[in-house]
Amino acid sequence: MNVAVSKGGRRLLWLSFWFLVIFLYAPILILIIFSFNARELVSFPWEGFTTRWYREFLQNQVLLDAIRSSASIAAISSVVTTVLALPASIAMSRRRFFAKGLVSGMLLAPLVIPLVVLGTALLILFNYLQKVAGIPIELGWLTITIAHVVIALPFAVLTIVPRMERIPVALEEASRDLGADAWTAFRTVTFPLLAPAVLSAYLLSFVISFDEVVLASFVGGQTTTFPLYLWSQLRLPSQLPQLPAVAVVVLAISGVVVVAAEVLRRRTDRTLTSSTAVPDDIPNRVEVRTA
Amino acid sequence: MSDVAAAISIQRVSKRFGDVVAVRDVSLDIAEGEFLTLLGPSGCGKTTTMRMVAGFEEPDAGRIVLRGDDVVGVPPNKREVNMCFQHYALFPHMSVGNNIAYGLKLKKVSKADRHKRVDEMLELVGLAGYASRKPAQLSGGQQQRVALARALVNRPAALLLDEPLGALDVKLRKQMQLELKRIQHELRTTFVYVTHDQEEALSMSDRIAVMKDGVVEQLGTPRDVYEHPATPFVADFVGVLNALAFRVDETSGTDAIMRLSDRDRVVVPGGGSAAPGSQLLVAVRPERIRVHVGDVTTNGGSRITGRVDDVIYLGTLTQFHIATDAGTRIVAHRLSDEDTAGIDHGQAVTLTWDREDASILHDG
Repeated sequence: MNVAVSKGGRRLLWLSFWFLVIFLYAPILILIIFSFNARELVSFPWEGFTTRWYREFLQNQVLLDAIRSSASIAAISSVVTTVLALPASIAMSRRRFFAKGLVSGMLLAPLVIPLVVLGTALLILFNYLQKVAGIPIELGWLTITIAHVVIALPFAVLTIVPRMERIPVALEEASRDLGADAWTAFRTVTFPLLAPAVLSAYLLSFVISFDEVVLASFVGGQTTTFPLYLWSQLRLPSQLPQLPAVAVVVLAISGVVVVAAEVLRRRTDRTLTSSTAVPDDIPNRVEVRTA
Repeated sequence: MSDVAAAISIQRVSKRFGDVVAVRDVSLDIAEGEFLTLLGPSGCGKTTTMRMVAGFEEPDAGRIVLRGDDVVGVPPNKREVNMCFQHYALFPHMSVGNNIAYGLKLKKVSKADRHKRVDEMLELVGLAGYASRKPAQLSGGQQQRVALARALVNRPAALLLDEPLGALDVKLRKQMQLELKRIQHELRTTFVYVTHDQEEALSMSDRIAVMKDGVVEQLGTPRDVYEHPATPFVADFVGVLNALAFRVDETSGTDAIMRLSDRDRVVVPGGGSAAPGSQLLVAVRPERIRVHVGDVTTNGGSRITGRVDDVIYLGTLTQFHIATDAGTRIVAHRLSDEDTAGIDHGQAVTLTWDREDASILHDG
């Protein structure tokens, strides 16, 4: 019997559903409500509808700069992450090589290393490169970008590898057999089938970078990213009412992107499940039915 | 064979994967337009042999010559052969038409020509009008036909088929066997076919190479392989066979004769050089054995008496398991008719077969 429809299973599903509603969606809803609340303090009671906080944050140059630098860091680091993750994922799923387990472990290590540790280590490294090795690498957007590539890479690889493993090797062989060189086979067969996962990996890397606060605070130097700005403003009551408004805008934009990516992924995912869904309608075929 | 140019010549080819020898010193000449089947159980090296011809594996030793050119080291895309993969390997993101046109596009065939040849192929495989469908919208049998069309549209020097019917149900498989044979006949393309299904091999091939442990055990026409298996393995793998061990009593010309009792005897042609007293393994196909109730005599053939142990009704045929008085067990197939219906468990019977129907098995 299917666990999901057994009595205990249904109860558990119900429980997790309400858990999510209360701790994930209710705060978001409250955030949206407060972003339109005319009160100076971010709390009840409701003092009337206003769009003042939206107008104010659009005139807050420091905030807009923070969003801009976060967006550009995310845009660059996600491209770099995806470009690095693609060949790594193909190697992980298609080739056998010496110490593959070790390499994959090293690739995925940032998943388990505490961010504070990683941030400290990166800061030491960047300082060393700059002061001792003489490489001109200023703490700022470049170092944040590098740090974000490091933490997003395992997520990107883990997104692409399963998809790659579902693409039968025979498809590439068929392409080679029909006259394609290795690059053409990749371009016309492997990559189109891999594209949805590559897109997912890109968006995931983007979101990871855009959200990230710990590493940015370690290696950011004078650069203030959007999450860093939010974090610092929590101390200043006067600016506080703008924050729900900013959050709602960011939430809405990322919500649209994520939903679009998911729809795209599902649509193209169907192409890989090419099974014999249609019965053979060739003449003379006899259906054998047991009475 | 020597006066006909070989489409594919496999010369003393070996291949190992780690410690496992997959193919061991195999030589095969496949003639232009021939339907050759590599038959054997899984792990016998048949697929590896085919993949070396296609270029997906490189041999460790030996040469593979395609229409006169040694192709060892040549990548698959530069070889004039095409392959039908076991699970079709159709490109799921392309329509049927684009799947078939894929090879032509890479060869820079003009769009008009491409269109014409794709349509011809769809016609040939009985899928006219399916060009715009996606592979996922087709049944297994239809996907198989598309895979065939995609390979054949390139007019390859040879078509390699790797268990192409393995995923189809029995009824459809039989139909596709006929279809494949028809297409091969129409196009006169050389087919190299890999299968573990002996019936498929027998019904379709011009010649069969029976493989075991990376070695070709026997190469011959289906009739050769079936009726005169060279080794016990071939005899056993290609159909049911009685392999009977007897001690030679005397020889007469080219025949070895074993006397089992006053009147029972087994005659084997080709055993004339066997020393009296030595052991021979004699092969007899079940359908060559006649089952008589009571006593009969033979002239020149073999005769052996026994008792029916089991009667298995198979529809057209009835299978008899007989324990002979000489202590061996023999399986006989007879057409089911009124006579066979009267034979039952425990009945004393006399088995006879003609001199030519027995052959000697050499241990491989």
